[in-house]
Amino acid sequence: MVLKLEKHMPSENGIIGVLPIGNVTGPAPKIIAAHIAGYFNLDARVLPPQDLPAKAMDRQRLQYDAGRLINIFEAHQWAESLKLVAVLDVDIFVPIFTHVFGEARQGGKVAVVSLFRLGDALPTARPSQASILERIAKVALHELGHLFNLQHCDNAQCLMHFSGGLEDLDLLSFNLCRYCRAYLKDALFFPTGESV
Amino acid sequence: MPNKMSIMIVDDEKVVRESFLHWFEKIGHRVEAAASGSEALDKLAKAPFEVMFVDIKMPGMNGIELLENVKSEYPDTTVVIITAYGSIESSVKAMQMGAVDYLLKPFKPDQLTLVMEKIAQQKRLVQEYDYLKGRLEKITKFDNIIGQSDEMMEVFDLIVDIAQSETSVLLTGETGTGKELVAKAIHAKSPRAHHPFIAINCGAIPDSLLESELFGHQKGSFTSATHTRKGFLEVVAGGTLFLDEIGEISSKMQVDLLRVLEEKKLTRIGSNQLVDVDFRLISATRRDLEKKIEAGTFRRDFFYRINVIKINIPPLRKRKADIPLLIDHFLKKYSQETAKHVDRISRDAQARLMEYNWPGNVRELENAIERAVVLSKSRTLGTDDFMFLRAPLSQTLKERSLAAMEKAHIQRILSETNGNVTHAAAILGINRVTLHKKIKRFNLKRK
Repeated sequence: MVLKLEKHMPSENGIIGVLPIGNVTGPAPKIIAAHIAGYFNLDARVLPPQDLPAKAMDRQRLQYDAGRLINIFEAHQWAESLKLVAVLDVDIFVPIFTHVFGEARQGGKVAVVSLFRLGDALPTARPSQASILERIAKVALHELGHLFNLQHCDNAQCLMHFSGGLEDLDLLSFNLCRYCRAYLKDALFFPTGESV
Repeated sequence: MPNKMSIMIVDDEKVVRESFLHWFEKIGHRVEAAASGSEALDKLAKAPFEVMFVDIKMPGMNGIELLENVKSEYPDTTVVIITAYGSIESSVKAMQMGAVDYLLKPFKPDQLTLVMEKIAQQKRLVQEYDYLKGRLEKITKFDNIIGQSDEMMEVFDLIVDIAQSETSVLLTGETGTGKELVAKAIHAKSPRAHHPFIAINCGAIPDSLLESELFGHQKGSFTSATHTRKGFLEVVAGGTLFLDEIGEISSKMQVDLLRVLEEKKLTRIGSNQLVDVDFRLISATRRDLEKKIEAGTFRRDFFYRINVIKINIPPLRKRKADIPLLIDHFLKKYSQETAKHVDRISRDAQARLMEYNWPGNVRELENAIERAVVLSKSRTLGTDDFMFLRAPLSQTLKERSLAAMEKAHIQRILSETNGNVTHAAAILGINRVTLHKKIKRFNLKRK
């Protein structure tokens, strides 16, 4: 079942900006924007690409710190954008984890998602370009959900269900369960959480 | 994650604490962080935490010392050790000291998820164990009262709650529901348990004799009083007096008992000497005492004195879920007593017993099982062994008319459905309008 919200977010509330970072080229940002528009019914636009912030690099781990990246992008003034999904092709991490596919803070403004590990082959098959794009779109929608305060969901059929690996990610649905759908609707139309 | 938990992160590295905080916020757990062992103990002293993630290497109190403290002061808190490469030995030590798991930093996100699932499962098992243990205790601790229905669980709870007090208890319920067993259970759980429990059926003893039985008499006080005798109110000394069928006693006896209850003193028949008494009164009745008060046959002041706490024991038809348990109990009891290996019941027979209305309640069920066991020729009781449970047919010709049978049947179904016309009509296979007409025509009561 496809998420049906009554209407697009009013434009005065801003848009979802999809921001290609560094060497990210190709269809990934457009695919992400299209999925945000298609599944969350929000205005999403691909913004002009930005350089990869070198200071987010962790010299010991040789990976990019997702937290630092979020802090850097959040400090920037992004005209019009309500929320931002930054798309990278470098390996990103949070200090306790070896890596993450994406990262966002609950109710935050910026999510980061990375293509770096999404092309990894599973024991059974090498992923096609289409399945890599499907994976990045799922990660982006999932992290965007966190920006709208959605939490991890127990329902394995829900987009907000946590997927620890690529196999889980491939099984993940693009759709929200009815509870998460309701929470998202509340977050969109009552952004300060006043009441429903 | 099935249950939201309260979690504390203890790590001297801010980035680690923040990573955990952000992660657990996404799941919806209540999460707090402490930068040191002492801060963690301060937080634990203020609020309980179900799970703690503790770094081994911290300045001041290290993770092992903190674990030792937590396990001794807050044993219900689950501890997971987080460690960097090179401190595996400490991790093993921590596991031996009671940590449930350890995570080697940095770890994969799904490793943390697995640890949390394992903890949640353990918590669930502990909760289930505690619940079942409590329920089992409730079922077994009143070994003569069988029941696991919600209605009986409420009775068991009340027994436990009131056993420790000294207040008078009134047990109400139909005949055969086990009022005396409940009285015995209250006594057994009370501080008076090591003193006598004396049960008297007031309805079975003539009033004049009851007075002598309760109050005792002085030698020569009446023709057959050949020697002085203590009454049960004295003999019970320190124990519990159970007066069954309290609704049957005379007004004079009510006044006498009321005085004893208020003054804790009595005078034996034929004596002027006051004697101190010490007992707890539990009364029981199958009558509606309030109706008797309205009719003027029961004293209101005495009623209030004996009815401080009331326990209504539900009839068996209102707790049919207990019937299989009772069948099992009585089968075991009578197959042992009769030395016959009749220890099973067929599904059909059990279904028949479940359907039956049991006007005589548990006592009738017990008698039915005893009779069936005694007469059975096979190991398994079948429906034929309970043929005698057919509803008794009316004896007079008038009462055996079709109209009388219809009236009686509709009344029975209405009683079973607590007067719910829709439900009763569905059982009877007629529509509600027809049932209403019949209720009016036969002048039936809805309840």
